[in-house]
Amino acid sequence: MDLKEIKQLIKMVEQANINEIEIEEEDKKIRITKVSAQNVSVSAQPMAMPAPMPAAAPVAAPGEAAPAAAPEAKNENLVEVRSPMVGTFYRSPSPDADPYTEVGKTVAPGDVLCIVEAMKLMNEIECEVSGKVVEILVENAQPVEFNQVLFIIEKA
Amino acid sequence: MFKKVLIANRGEIALRIIRACQELGVSTVAVHSEADEDALHVRFADEAICIGPARGMDSYLKPDRIIAAAEITGVDAIHPGYGFLAENADFADMCASHGFKFIGPSSEVIRTMGDKAKAKETMIKAGVPVVPGSEGVLKNMEEGKALADKMGYPVILKAVAGGGGRGMRIVNSSEELEVNYQMAYAEAEGAFNNPDLYLEKFIKNPRHIEIQVMADQHGQVVHLGERECSIQRRHQKLLEEAPSAVVDEALRRAMGEVAVAGARRVNYEGAGTIEFLLDADKNFYFMEMNTRIQVEHPVTEEVCGRDLLKDQIRVAAGEPLGYGQEDIVMRGHAIECRINAEDWERNFMPNPGEITSFHMPGGPGVRVDSHAYQRYVIPPYYDSLVAKLICYGADRKEALSRMNRALNEFVIEGVKTTIPFHEKLINHRKFIEADFDTGFLDRTNLLEDGEAE
Repeated sequence: MDLKEIKQLIKMVEQANINEIEIEEEDKKIRITKVSAQNVSVSAQPMAMPAPMPAAAPVAAPGEAAPAAAPEAKNENLVEVRSPMVGTFYRSPSPDADPYTEVGKTVAPGDVLCIVEAMKLMNEIECEVSGKVVEILVENAQPVEFNQVLFIIEKA
Repeated sequence: MFKKVLIANRGEIALRIIRACQELGVSTVAVHSEADEDALHVRFADEAICIGPARGMDSYLKPDRIIAAAEITGVDAIHPGYGFLAENADFADMCASHGFKFIGPSSEVIRTMGDKAKAKETMIKAGVPVVPGSEGVLKNMEEGKALADKMGYPVILKAVAGGGGRGMRIVNSSEELEVNYQMAYAEAEGAFNNPDLYLEKFIKNPRHIEIQVMADQHGQVVHLGERECSIQRRHQKLLEEAPSAVVDEALRRAMGEVAVAGARRVNYEGAGTIEFLLDADKNFYFMEMNTRIQVEHPVTEEVCGRDLLKDQIRVAAGEPLGYGQEDIVMRGHAIECRINAEDWERNFMPNPGEITSFHMPGGPGVRVDSHAYQRYVIPPYYDSLVAKLICYGADRKEALSRMNRALNEFVIEGVKTTIPFHEKLINHRKFIEADFDTGFLDRTNLLEDGEAE
């Protein structure tokens, strides 16, 4: 299965009235899942991107599962940092600067974790607890909606 | 035509807008509060963005979040529906300054028509008959008293920032004016942040007749006839009809021409409604203009055979309206019942909750505009409208018989609705005879009234 075939499959799924297709061929297996409007509000993935989809888009995920729903903080020590607004998520204060934080980094209350930008205004999202960043659920420049989970912090 | 439109609303109107967009080949973005995650408009839209917690003021009334959602989804235009931000001139400005077409008239027109005193002034200049009253805002209570004493009582004090039945006080005599003025002033300040009042002669038992207008960006303005909206409870419409049983062709033409003149005067664009009061002698007076699509638009659609939402979106996209006044013909009769989740026997107390059983009526001449479905949980945070039931017939008699049938077929269980109220209402002798005015419901006790057929 080459890239060209995968691109064609993605296009077919986009246009067809199906949500998911899984194809197994000898030693290769590909599953393509359409991100529907229903999933959008709980998924950590970007909203249904306008077509055409580049091959690197989250829709095609050879061997992987469908776009993950926001993982629940099962452990009581795990704190979810949620977006207080609608906008675009940025990991760094500017395109060439270093990201505010990384997985594994220690954080304290008041530390800026990221920026959510809307209407040309940059809003710094601050951490409220002491602990360690366990997971970053969104990618740089990804659109986020209200209450979408951005980070999981393990409390110290 | 737009490629993508964001619907800045919820409930049945959001669904209505999405349906029009789908027919026009336009992609849709729904915004929703956390309480509306399972709402039908969220499911039917191509994309959905959560914009806040349940309360309207934290979500649907947050212009910045709606604009942010429009930015991240790359829409061309925003449709505000009715209520919420539909007549918020600042929001219309924000849409424009962020490069989104606000589907409606300009912010200037919204501002002018939103100020009820200024709207009246503007209409007077356009030659539209208005209710006699103060010239604009009352400077003080003394001015109001002098004018009222001269005009004769009863009079009505109205907040300039009010509208839709809010911020109004009837004054029956000179002695009552001072205290009512003070109370109206304080109420207006509290409710609308604007204490300004104006005064009008109070017309007893008028009929509320409104004219639908539609205007494109190329100077074409038409009217689509009248709607009879006199069945109101505390100034809230419960049932609407088109045409009105008391409006003949000549009166329709007169009111329509006046409405079009008023719309032209303000360079109106899009769908709008001019509300008139009709007195017992068939004199009509301008009351207010609503610069948005209205809840009761379906009755006009049914008798005129037009899709007003599609027209609205098309003219906003710059298309010519495509039809003129001579193309508008009203055929047959349509009635709309607003089915609310309210306990009508207990003072129409709101009744949110889960709809355990839901079955919509069907058959010829029956249309249901509703966002409800079986197992849907009606949230307590918004209005109580569950469904609009619209019945069409060749004449009023047939429309009524279809409405009776459809109300009987309509099943909504788990919450109390106003279906039984409508059944009583449309079988009341005075309603059947079309002998009613805006005071009818408030003075008729349908629970006891022995006038039912």
